[in-house]
Amino acid sequence: MTEYAKPIKRRKINSDAIWGYAFIAAALLIFLMFTAYPVVSALIISFQEYKPVGSTFIGFDNYTETFKDSLFWKAIVNTIVYTLLTVPVSLFLSFAVSILILPFKKRMQTAFKAVYYLPAVASGVALSVVWLWIYDPMPEGIFNKLTSFFGLGTHNWLGSSAYAMFSLVLMAWLSSHGTSIIIYLAALLGIDGSYYEAAELDGANFFQKLRYIVVPCLKPTTLFLLVTGVIGSFQVFQNAYLMTGGGPDNATTMVGLLIFNNAFKYFEFGKAAAQSLILAAIIAGISVIQFKFLGKDVEY
Amino acid sequence: MKKRMRVLASVFALSMALTTLSACGSGSKDAETKNADDPNAKDTITALLPPVSANFQSNFDQMAKEFNEKYPNLTLKIEPASWEDMTQKLDTQVNAGSPPDIAFIPSDGIPKYVDSGLLMDISDTATDDMIKDYDPAPLEYMKNGKGLYGFPAYMEAHAIGGNKEYLEKAGIDYKKVQKEGWTFDEFREAIKKGVVTENGKTSRYGFVFATAGVTSKDYLDILVKSAGMPSAFNQDLKYTYTSKNFLEVLKDIRVMIDDGSMPKELSSIDAGKRWNMFLTGQTMITGKGLAGFERNAKENNEKLKNKDASAVKGSIPVEYIVLPVPSFAGAKAQTRVAVDGYVTFRGTKEPTAAHKANVVKAANFLSSGKVAATTNNELYVAQITESSRKAAESMPVDRDPDNKAAIESMLTHAVPARPDIPTDLGAKALKLEDEVIVPKLQALIAGEITPEAMYDAVKSAAVQAFGDDGVVKD
Repeated sequence: MTEYAKPIKRRKINSDAIWGYAFIAAALLIFLMFTAYPVVSALIISFQEYKPVGSTFIGFDNYTETFKDSLFWKAIVNTIVYTLLTVPVSLFLSFAVSILILPFKKRMQTAFKAVYYLPAVASGVALSVVWLWIYDPMPEGIFNKLTSFFGLGTHNWLGSSAYAMFSLVLMAWLSSHGTSIIIYLAALLGIDGSYYEAAELDGANFFQKLRYIVVPCLKPTTLFLLVTGVIGSFQVFQNAYLMTGGGPDNATTMVGLLIFNNAFKYFEFGKAAAQSLILAAIIAGISVIQFKFLGKDVEY
Repeated sequence: MKKRMRVLASVFALSMALTTLSACGSGSKDAETKNADDPNAKDTITALLPPVSANFQSNFDQMAKEFNEKYPNLTLKIEPASWEDMTQKLDTQVNAGSPPDIAFIPSDGIPKYVDSGLLMDISDTATDDMIKDYDPAPLEYMKNGKGLYGFPAYMEAHAIGGNKEYLEKAGIDYKKVQKEGWTFDEFREAIKKGVVTENGKTSRYGFVFATAGVTSKDYLDILVKSAGMPSAFNQDLKYTYTSKNFLEVLKDIRVMIDDGSMPKELSSIDAGKRWNMFLTGQTMITGKGLAGFERNAKENNEKLKNKDASAVKGSIPVEYIVLPVPSFAGAKAQTRVAVDGYVTFRGTKEPTAAHKANVVKAANFLSSGKVAATTNNELYVAQITESSRKAAESMPVDRDPDNKAAIESMLTHAVPARPDIPTDLGAKALKLEDEVIVPKLQALIAGEITPEAMYDAVKSAAVQAFGDDGVVKD
């Protein structure tokens, strides 16, 4: 035994530690069953021609078929277009609304937060039904009445491939930003007031304060919302499923909808699992890129 | 206090974990029941059933009671489901390997479940007396290959429906059409006459069919039957949608929109909207027409008469006239039918002979006799078993006799079932339909592609899927 080597001390496990491990074990068990197990199962199924009775191992066939499938690539492109059009605008709108709400007193802020958060509480299905009504293609449809009033004529908003994607994007722009607004507001309230006081002494105007104080201070929040927004957008399913069914001519078929169709319409669970894992890899890749390029000077 | 909180918290944590584990252990009781091989042993048969008719689900207790009276050792446990979540619920159960013993589904879903390996072939268990009770045509729809996978509940014709007053105003001899049918050219002339324009705007269309999203599949599928393509495969198992007649149907679909007989926004009109358009006088003819629509129209008329606020807003009294789908490209008209029924499932373990026999008894009980008679009478659809026809003799029928006769005439040239189509070919055709035909049809109806472009796309995808020799060339 050298002078540096210390005798191994047996850690005494007291009753607090036992209780702690017991609580962790319950949470861990639930995590293992409902998160880890499905992921591992999906990985195994992705190498199988899955059937409830007698699945067969088919190697990488599900993956190679997916990569050869033109509809998969079309769905990827549609999802990227949808993400590029919705996430930045959604972030900007949330940021702008938060800035507008910030000067109000606490009670008014709470009222605004509640109003903006309300759509997030409402059922997505109910919202889609309302939007279907707004996008009624007949001349008496609400949106068509509006466009006709401005001399833009009537359009088949969800039935035409020229407008269907735009219609889903517009719906995303005008729908719930409640969560982002609340997060932005919390971050805005966390900025030390002395920064603004110093800027005011230097004669900074509103936009300069925004540019040199607010935007840099909110960078971690923006990065968080951007990453989670992109992840959410890549997994979008409900809008396309309920509003357009992926049509017309697959113009709004997103990857999420394609995976759902493969699994529950065609019972091709192996292919659906493979596509889910490819989607997970794409999302992980994009998240890494976002952290690498945008997270350099972010302080947490 | 601290100790009590710890105990409470640990009980909570443990119960969470146990709940989780118990979810994986359900079904053991069923398995035990099913293991009994004694035909007189107690057994429970589970059924997942949607609201087949308006009062169907409210009769479940009575149905279970009558079944138990007939078979005292058996219990019929019925789980209700809405039409909306029926397929999803069933699919989830099938893929978990624990489907109900019986489920009510359209017969065209049979190949999908046969492929899963969990549909139960009852051809060796259904007795001759049971089989003889059913009309042969609908029974064929419950077959796949040599297997019989359940019993049919009804066979309903997919027709179109007209507003009697508007048909008469347009000078259409609808009674003759009901008896003799019509060609597409005759139909086109008729729907043109039904169009009414006020101040440059169309206030009434000649024909409106629901085509939003997947309902466009219905539209095409109903029309092509009368264009010499009763099935996606001919008798030689060659894919038929590559036939030139298919192109003719596509051209005809487009021309009805181009000449203003159908709305240019057709691609976004769903089933609810087009029925609303029919009841509010915005169209002369609607599709697809189901037997129950006559009853729905009558009920709405009654509400209007009684100034009942639940009548469809803006609706007018409508006398619903059943009309056949026109024939295309000189082909013989054939009626697309919906045959829905009670299909039988097995679990991942081989069912015992006794349980299988019990499931067959339950499926037969639901699809024949008094239960079927009551349901079909309520739906205005024809009885398809001798036992239900007999049971329905005493039940009042409130149908227009001409409509009834028209449906009976259509059913004489109903498209026959095709149990000979292998499941792999059927699955390929279904995928081609969902990934190419429906999307291209949506684009065609929206005026974004030509009929020729759609035909070429379908042809190319069909050759890719079935090979050059696997498709019809004419």
